[in-house]
Amino acid sequence: VHTQNHGLEYDGCNFFRQRLVLSTLSGKRVRIKNIRSKEDDPGLRDFEASFIRLLDKVTNGSRIEINQTGTVLFYQPGLLYGGAVEHDCNPQRSIGYYLEALLMLAPFMKTALKATLRGVTNDPIDPTVDLLKTTALPLMKKFGIDGAGFDLKVVKRGMAPGGGGEVLVTCPVRRTIKPVQLRDPGKIKRIRGVAYSVRVSPQMANRIVDSARSVLNQFLPDIYIYTDHMKGANSGKSPGFGLTLVAETLNGCFLSAEMSSTPQGQGDPVLPEDLGRNCAKLLLEEIYRGGCVDSSNQSLALLLMTLGQQDVSKVLLGPLSPYTIEFLRHIRDFFQIMFKIEVQKPLEDERKGGDKVLMTCVGVGYSNINKTLK
Amino acid sequence: MLSLCLCPMVVKMDGKVKKQQKRHQQKHSGPKAEKKKLKKQEGSNEEDERKRNPKAFAVQSAVRMAKTFHRAQDIKAKKHHIPLVDRTPLEPPPVVIVVVGPPKVGKSTLIRCLIKNFTRQKLGDICGPVTIVSGKKRRLTFIECNNDINTMIDLAKVADLVLMLIDASFGFEMETFEFLNICQVHGFPRIMGVLTHLDAFKNNKTQRKTKKNLKHRFWTEVYQGAKLFYLSGMVYGEYQTQEVKNLGRFISVMKFRPLVWQTSHPYVLADRMEDLTDPEKVRTDPKCDRTVSLYGYLRGTYLKNKGQVHIPGVGDFQVSDVNCLPDPCPLPDVQKKRGLNEKERLLYAPMAGVGGVVYDKDAVYIDLPASHVKQQEEEVRPTTELVQSLIDTHATLDAKMAASKVSLFSGSATLDSTDVNEQNGEEEGLHEQRVWDPKIQRERRKVVFTEEKEDDDNSGSSDEDDDSEEVEESGGEEEQEVDENPDEDALSTFLKEARSQCNEKERGGAPPVKKQKLEEEIAEVPVFADSDDELEKSEEEEEEEDTGRAGDSGHCSEEEEEEDEEDSDEESGEESEGKDDEAAESEEEEEEEEEEMEEDGALCWKEGLQQKASEAFLRQQQAAPNLRKMVYGSVVAADDSEEEEEEELGGLFRVSRPQKSKKTQANALDCSHFKADLSHNWDLEEMLNSIRDCFVTGKWEEGQDAATLLKEDEELYGDFEDLETGQVHKSHSGRQDEGEQNSENDEDDDAEETQVKVEDEEVQKNKRLEKKRRLKERFDSEYDDGEATYFDDLKEEMQKQAELNRAEFEDMDDETRVQYEGYRPGMYVRIEVPSVPCEFVSNFDPHYPVILGGLGSSEGNVGYLQMRLKKHRWHDRILKTRDPLILSLGWRRFQTIPLYHIEDHNGRHRLLKYTPQHMHCGASIWGPITPQGTGFLAVQSVTGTKTNFRIAATGVVLDLDKSVTIVKKLKLVGYPYKIFKNTCFIKGMFNTVLEVAKFEGASIRTVSGVRGQIKKALSTPAGAYRATFEDRLLMSDIVFLRSWYPVVVPQLYNPVTSLLLPVGQKDSWAGMRTVGQLKHDLGIRNKPNTDSLYKPVVRTQRRFNPLHIPKELQKALPFKSKPKQQQSRGKTPRDLQRPGVIREPHERKVIALLQALSTINNYKKKKAHTVQHSKHKEFLQQKTKQEEAKSKRQKELRKKLYRAMDQKDQKRSRSSLKGAPQES
Repeated sequence: VHTQNHGLEYDGCNFFRQRLVLSTLSGKRVRIKNIRSKEDDPGLRDFEASFIRLLDKVTNGSRIEINQTGTVLFYQPGLLYGGAVEHDCNPQRSIGYYLEALLMLAPFMKTALKATLRGVTNDPIDPTVDLLKTTALPLMKKFGIDGAGFDLKVVKRGMAPGGGGEVLVTCPVRRTIKPVQLRDPGKIKRIRGVAYSVRVSPQMANRIVDSARSVLNQFLPDIYIYTDHMKGANSGKSPGFGLTLVAETLNGCFLSAEMSSTPQGQGDPVLPEDLGRNCAKLLLEEIYRGGCVDSSNQSLALLLMTLGQQDVSKVLLGPLSPYTIEFLRHIRDFFQIMFKIEVQKPLEDERKGGDKVLMTCVGVGYSNINKTLK
Repeated sequence: MLSLCLCPMVVKMDGKVKKQQKRHQQKHSGPKAEKKKLKKQEGSNEEDERKRNPKAFAVQSAVRMAKTFHRAQDIKAKKHHIPLVDRTPLEPPPVVIVVVGPPKVGKSTLIRCLIKNFTRQKLGDICGPVTIVSGKKRRLTFIECNNDINTMIDLAKVADLVLMLIDASFGFEMETFEFLNICQVHGFPRIMGVLTHLDAFKNNKTQRKTKKNLKHRFWTEVYQGAKLFYLSGMVYGEYQTQEVKNLGRFISVMKFRPLVWQTSHPYVLADRMEDLTDPEKVRTDPKCDRTVSLYGYLRGTYLKNKGQVHIPGVGDFQVSDVNCLPDPCPLPDVQKKRGLNEKERLLYAPMAGVGGVVYDKDAVYIDLPASHVKQQEEEVRPTTELVQSLIDTHATLDAKMAASKVSLFSGSATLDSTDVNEQNGEEEGLHEQRVWDPKIQRERRKVVFTEEKEDDDNSGSSDEDDDSEEVEESGGEEEQEVDENPDEDALSTFLKEARSQCNEKERGGAPPVKKQKLEEEIAEVPVFADSDDELEKSEEEEEEEDTGRAGDSGHCSEEEEEEDEEDSDEESGEESEGKDDEAAESEEEEEEEEEEMEEDGALCWKEGLQQKASEAFLRQQQAAPNLRKMVYGSVVAADDSEEEEEEELGGLFRVSRPQKSKKTQANALDCSHFKADLSHNWDLEEMLNSIRDCFVTGKWEEGQDAATLLKEDEELYGDFEDLETGQVHKSHSGRQDEGEQNSENDEDDDAEETQVKVEDEEVQKNKRLEKKRRLKERFDSEYDDGEATYFDDLKEEMQKQAELNRAEFEDMDDETRVQYEGYRPGMYVRIEVPSVPCEFVSNFDPHYPVILGGLGSSEGNVGYLQMRLKKHRWHDRILKTRDPLILSLGWRRFQTIPLYHIEDHNGRHRLLKYTPQHMHCGASIWGPITPQGTGFLAVQSVTGTKTNFRIAATGVVLDLDKSVTIVKKLKLVGYPYKIFKNTCFIKGMFNTVLEVAKFEGASIRTVSGVRGQIKKALSTPAGAYRATFEDRLLMSDIVFLRSWYPVVVPQLYNPVTSLLLPVGQKDSWAGMRTVGQLKHDLGIRNKPNTDSLYKPVVRTQRRFNPLHIPKELQKALPFKSKPKQQQSRGKTPRDLQRPGVIREPHERKVIALLQALSTINNYKKKKAHTVQHSKHKEFLQQKTKQEEAKSKRQKELRKKLYRAMDQKDQKRSRSSLKGAPQES
């Protein structure tokens, strides 16, 4: 990290989205050097370029400079504009990759966002759109981003190599974000899920459901896993299936896990039974980690805490993921905000999973400078 | 000086002439007086009006009642303000009191008197802000505002209270109103008027009248009932003591309102400035950029280190360092007494030469007590105390700590205190030290913990121990070296760095890039580096220290459990660190997971799963205490730990790992998925059991357990009667209660059991009380909360948040706290600002305020702003588009070029040439990004007082954007060159086919109003096109196309750098001139367009062609309308010409006679006719007269008749009513 007259400098393409998103929100320009400079195929990949293009679509007046080899990127953020956006996401990464960043920006636009993203909806690498729908949206609602216009709709489903899925995201704009105190997740009252399958036998989904239930039924009777078999034009270009599980607690926190079949022609094929069982175990792992926020949404929660009013916000998280740790560092770089990190150890006789981390911070007092005053 | 005669509103303050009305006279006798007397007497015994006169208070109309109710509710709701979280600091900064007024009105005298009143000290020259302690809980900062509009604008933004001095003998001056308007725009602080020069009035009555007039005018400006203070006269050059005392009392009890801008931005009103630039550099290059440090109380909100600030009058800067200094003017310690003693009445004004530091133009003189002469350029008293403490601590704790060395295994490296004792700086106060920094070639000041000096010595002596982490550490320490020669210090740093580099190379350490990174880290974030050191402490010291100390208690809880031996503890601490780092990496790189596990030795995945699980569990637990370090302990530490580990655990494990450079990590896959821990096997019952309680089916906490809750409920609602069976169920406890009582009655005599009974009774009583309390709570919550409105809920929520905000970091030490929150308002801070223009230092004038205004996250950027603007009604000229204007917006003052526009009904922003006279309009500028809703004001120039009223416009920011959508009207003109029926070929509007293509389908119009449309471009004359119209055009018609052309806002953003001007000329900043000024200055006169000049209109005679009617039409026309074939007949031919008649003389005579006769006859006839006519007229007149008389007569007759009839009718009806038939 190197500060250079009111701009930041980073090395490498990792945490690419974080940097650009935080740069856009903070208004600080950023320069990323040495992007895969030592590799055989140097420079930005197609999916990163696609991400930059998406960022360019939702902003107005941003300046992006990339050198000839694509190893250096300079980004001077403009103002978030929003409105109706259509974007064909590169199928190298799933829509979740783009959507994670877009959700961070969406409440701070000038006009309410209505984005149509096309590409891969489900793949094993990134959080799928189903997961974001079931976890990220309720999380954002806790920060005061709600209303009728807040929705994520999976119009078409497209599995990994081919894509062909379509997602519609709408998000209202907010001037300020509420501080939150999420200290107690409460007990899990129900588990829901979606078992989806496209271009394979619809029976696959049922097999997934059965195997997942066999694991989870040991804990809770209230389990319902929907089967979602999309056909025809809505089924994308590649075959595949998968499962998203979400556990809802009494206090309205959502923990989730997911698993998708390996993309066609890459790696060993998976049996739906195995997938269901493994996914259920992943959910148990997620519950073991615990906290009020799902492990893949930690950074979103921390960002919204940072951008709150100048009040104390508290969120109980499970163990911090490496991605989140880097995100915390980036928040310090861009907003000069440090979090108070307190580890909460489980008591002797308590059977509530592993260590939890209580994150506390004072918001920067961010207000949406893009929204028009009437 | 301002001349007053220019301003119209000063002259007449109160034009009202009251009409004298007749006074009310009370009756002393008569019935009214009696009645009143009676009423008075009765009124005393019957007090309740409602009771006495119930009818008057009855509901007359439901509608009206509803209306009154609505009204009452409306009034109630109007009083509500949106509840805000109370963020006022516990120990607030001094209140900024700005004393404003035109020159020679007595500002300095007033400040001097107030200071004397509060502190019993006399101050000569009021120069810069003066801070005093005025009471047990209040400090005041006085600052004088001169007549310069720059100063007025700056100070209005930071003022909490404005003392507005008005010369009563003269009346209001423009400055007063200007300042009031500035205040209105930037948030209205408390304003108190002070009338001076009241002794100038000879006549008492005129004085009273003037006072009243001034007061009322002041009220209309500020608010009705605003306080206006009168200072009657001077005694020996000072105001009267009693009056000043009263004013002081007013000030010290005054409450202030939070202003939006001030509460959302940190700011510092600097009361001290020092140049930190290397003198050598200044000598070689006097114009070099300077590094200055500014001191002052932090106000507003939290200030983050390394944030961006704006210094009005200088520019934007990135803060390089912020330190918190001991308060030079502290509030007295909490004591139970009424007033302050003399010692506590402090005065701090470094710029005015009070408080130990005397400010001079080119030097700073420090006045210190004789014992501390060694310390140069130190603060005032509190700092010297600190120095004392610093000296004291050196001899004690540090020496001990440094001496203690521990070796874990024989032959392995000894562990010295350096890596252990970084944390115990909390007890010592922080201290400011001047250190020469060789890297940036300047002197730096550093907050230091006193004991670290010893460590430095240690690290120097330790042989191979200086691994990279320690370098980082020692790098920090180097800066804190106190007494050593700076050069020597620098040398040692370099040596150490070099050595450590060598070591790394030997070990095949990190690539050079990484090293560079490390250095950067040291230079950039010393504060963070310090902070992690602090947290590395193992509990060995913790035991030595007081355990009650605040801190992140979670960090050491694990280690406290295993309190076996100190040595092993320490080792485990070290290990955990290393492992934790490894753990982090392992998680980051799933691919290398296995490899890594093998390295770790213990974590072989092929071994028993149980062991694996427990291992992972342990590892996670160990990771926990250092989580903060792992996150914020800088990336450097994480990298270095690899090397460090090799060294530290050298005796035991030496792992050879493939170089996993930072590069690969930096270019890894960007993914937010948190891969599951493979060591958890969810097939095992044990694992499943570990999360049992996360589900509703699991065990509940004591308080929330269903069984307990049910029992509680039973206690409360247990009693019920089954209505069907008539069976009465009693709650268990109640029954017990009764039983107890019965038994009590039975066994009343048993003496031995009475004791037990009493206790039992006590318990029962308590239980009953508890039950009652709970019932009451339930009742309250049911009924009160039903009453509670949304507003109350909101207020309560805010209250809770405020409490949480206060409590969260309360028990933390300042050093850690500022990292989380930033610097709190109320702290005395020292802010280091690099690369300030040298003029700021060389032309420094302490009479001008230096303000550091903190900027929000993106407020440092520049973009387009759309604002709503209104020309100020007292400014005498309208403003012209593209004339440069100086705006005061946010903290900034800058010159920019606005474009004025107005929104059309369809949302289009149409450019205006001038601002409307009495209306708002839009304005778009290129300027600094400022949050919407921020007010601004505009002046045309900041120099002099040429105009009557300097504030040209005011407004508010509406929208920020990176592009603008202002358009101006553009009419493209073309001429028809060929006209068909409705189709025309038009040329001259465009130049190419392409241009036409762009406008295909556009609507066009002729001047006469015939509408049409562009159809298609023609090939031959370039730019010509075919168009159709609703009617046939004439060749003389002009066709035009109305279009809108986007206008570009000029990108001028020129900050007003008034503080950089030489002393004495600071109010003479001149920016870009307007076109008008330029023309005036250069003597250029406008050459008008010749077409615009008036000239006599010469119209050519128009000739019209004859009307031509087609033959077909002619045929169809009726004869009347048919054109008649009346050709001129031409000359009649000779043969047809009639010959003239020549009469005979006789015939001539006859004819003459006949003519004469007929003439006579005619005349007679005419005469007779006139006579006849007049006669007839007369007759008619007579006739009408007769008619009139007749009708009149008839009317009267009729009237009589009708009256008679009516009377008859009445009689009849009356008689019929009476019942007696009467003959008519």
